[in-house]
Amino acid sequence: MTPQPCRFLAFSYQSVLGCNRNSPCICAPQPECGLFTSAALSNNNPRWKQRKKYTIRPIGMKKTGGRDHTGKIRVHGIGGGHKQRYRIIDFQRLHYEPGKQDNPFEERVIEVRYDPCRSADIALVAGGIRKRWIIATENMEAGDIIKTSGYIGRMAVSAKEGDSHPLGALPIGTLINNLEIYPGKGAQYIRAAGEYMSLLYKLSCEQVLEMYNINFAAVLEMCMATVGRVSNIDHNKRIIGKAGRNRWLGIRPSSGLWQRKGGWAGRKIKPIPPMKNYVNLPSAFATS
Amino acid sequence: PLASLVRRRGCALSRTSWKRRLQSERCNQTGLRLFSVTCSLSGMGPPPRKEKKRIEIPGLEPITYADRMHFVPGLAKPQMPKWERGWHDPFHALGVKHEEMALYKEKPCYMFHQRTKILGGEKQALWLTKSKLIEGLPEQVIHLAEDPLNQIENQDDQVQKAISHARFWVTTQTEPTRDRFWKDLQLAYLNLLQEESLCFQEIFSLSSIEHKNLYLIFRKESDIFQVRGINGLLLNSMNPLIAVASKEEVQATETHVLETFSPISPKIDLQVTNVYEERNDTGFREGYPYPHAHTLYITDSYDANSKFKPEHLRAKMMMFAFGNALVRAKLLYGEQPKVLENPVVVQCVATDGRTFQFMVLQLNTTDLDSSEGIKNLIWMDQDQLLYDTAVCVPIIKKKVVQVPAGFSGYQPETFKKFLALYLHGAV
Repeated sequence: MTPQPCRFLAFSYQSVLGCNRNSPCICAPQPECGLFTSAALSNNNPRWKQRKKYTIRPIGMKKTGGRDHTGKIRVHGIGGGHKQRYRIIDFQRLHYEPGKQDNPFEERVIEVRYDPCRSADIALVAGGIRKRWIIATENMEAGDIIKTSGYIGRMAVSAKEGDSHPLGALPIGTLINNLEIYPGKGAQYIRAAGEYMSLLYKLSCEQVLEMYNINFAAVLEMCMATVGRVSNIDHNKRIIGKAGRNRWLGIRPSSGLWQRKGGWAGRKIKPIPPMKNYVNLPSAFATS
Repeated sequence: PLASLVRRRGCALSRTSWKRRLQSERCNQTGLRLFSVTCSLSGMGPPPRKEKKRIEIPGLEPITYADRMHFVPGLAKPQMPKWERGWHDPFHALGVKHEEMALYKEKPCYMFHQRTKILGGEKQALWLTKSKLIEGLPEQVIHLAEDPLNQIENQDDQVQKAISHARFWVTTQTEPTRDRFWKDLQLAYLNLLQEESLCFQEIFSLSSIEHKNLYLIFRKESDIFQVRGINGLLLNSMNPLIAVASKEEVQATETHVLETFSPISPKIDLQVTNVYEERNDTGFREGYPYPHAHTLYITDSYDANSKFKPEHLRAKMMMFAFGNALVRAKLLYGEQPKVLENPVVVQCVATDGRTFQFMVLQLNTTDLDSSEGIKNLIWMDQDQLLYDTAVCVPIIKKKVVQVPAGFSGYQPETFKKFLALYLHGAV
């Protein structure tokens, strides 16, 4: 980028740098200049995220350019792109309406739409006097009715796509998404476009084993999961086409610095990673 | 082509100008003067600070740095009494909590006001007003519309002239902006109605009023609902409108079943409040000579932020016509719910200048609590176009004229209906 003439600080820079008054003063930001070093970093604060009340209205985001609150680059390769707005997703599917606890409830899908903040599509659902955004599943359409239940019965349920149940209630082999790993915390896994996991087998009444690619995980049976596959399954097949489209998405080119290839390059044969265990029972309970 | 480019640029400029104005207004409301972006884009203000947990050990007094008058590491932070200003500063006064207000009630109230856009649209409004919907206008109104005696002299010419004036001639620019011409159009239509009033003496018993406030509270299925707010331009009359449907038709509504839309509650998108007053107010003082609501004219704006979708607009028409009718019925026949001997009729017209929605509501009963029994009746004639297009510069795509310059697709039937609703009760 060519340096631009500094209009507002023209006089002070001329005195500092000894510029000619008649020629336009070309000056780059100087680190010793107090005006620049004391610049407010309020742009990098995440206050827009801190909201007490849930709303379905999109919230304006501030771009960080990969910088953290101190102004240093935390993540490389981020910057620019189209303006995006954040829609608060309710990852806690088993979120009861006040006064209607412990009853299975139904909701109607009002709209399924694109979300700039994630690869999956999102769905606006309404039930009772409440509306909320959730992650859409593969075949979800406006007008569908989806069910959410926290009940684990003796028999496995015959759930249809989009329904949400605890893992203990689902039959073995079900494809699931939006998985909680700690009961009641909200979905943390399998939220990206086209992802799914299958329920492999149950170890005991407290643990349920999952398979995700070649990873295994054991979680408690009370953890909620949505049945089906996450929407936008062709996300990995889209064609970016040109370098500029990545810039629209806020992705900057890599540095171009030549680096020798190390152990990360080439063919690898790795053993299957060990099973991840999320069944963190209290120690007193485990020892007894 | 250059012509379409000019047109496009004109539109873009006008759009940015009103957006900027809105931004500045909204940003002032939040207290954050950010002119670069809207308040919704700028995010929220600072969140409230987390209160630190104070540890109090009985019998021990913490040693603070209060007497040193500056921070000393290792000493506890002194707890000072809350500073009070000593006088009322309106800029820094904290409002009273809802729970401490005199009008606070335990039971919440669901409020419909002029900016409410309900998810269910007409279906939800029909449930709230306990009404049966009939497509098209009532026969009396259709007869009025078809009668050539009820028309203005050179009616079509005059209407077209009014449209051309608002869309083409009113400005020296290429095209008047949207936020200007829709207001001009509506004024022009109402002026034409006033011209017509010279022919019929009965119309002299009509009066129009703008910015009238309505306050209605009613109970339905053990919930409390409110219809309130400023509702368009109201035409009111000395004498009430006569019932449109016969008694047999009213009796036949008893078998009609109101549609519900489970799992969504019919209360969705209504504003919930615990602070409300249990009173009904027509908005007129006692002794006002024109106490009967005749027709409500609701104007839909072109502002993208406040524009209503057609279904939301129709729901608003139903709710406000119902509100005006019920508040009048409560005044006439008392608070006790009953089937009315003489039903109350209120009409409503909503328009953005081009598309018209016509509605007639007949309030048969004030017993809204249960969904059984006699229902109210609503006639709706929706999405009637007065004209198709009116553009100054033709829209050309790939060297083919898509929309010719000027004014096209005038439909005289729509204005006849508009006029008929005005003359209803007078002729």
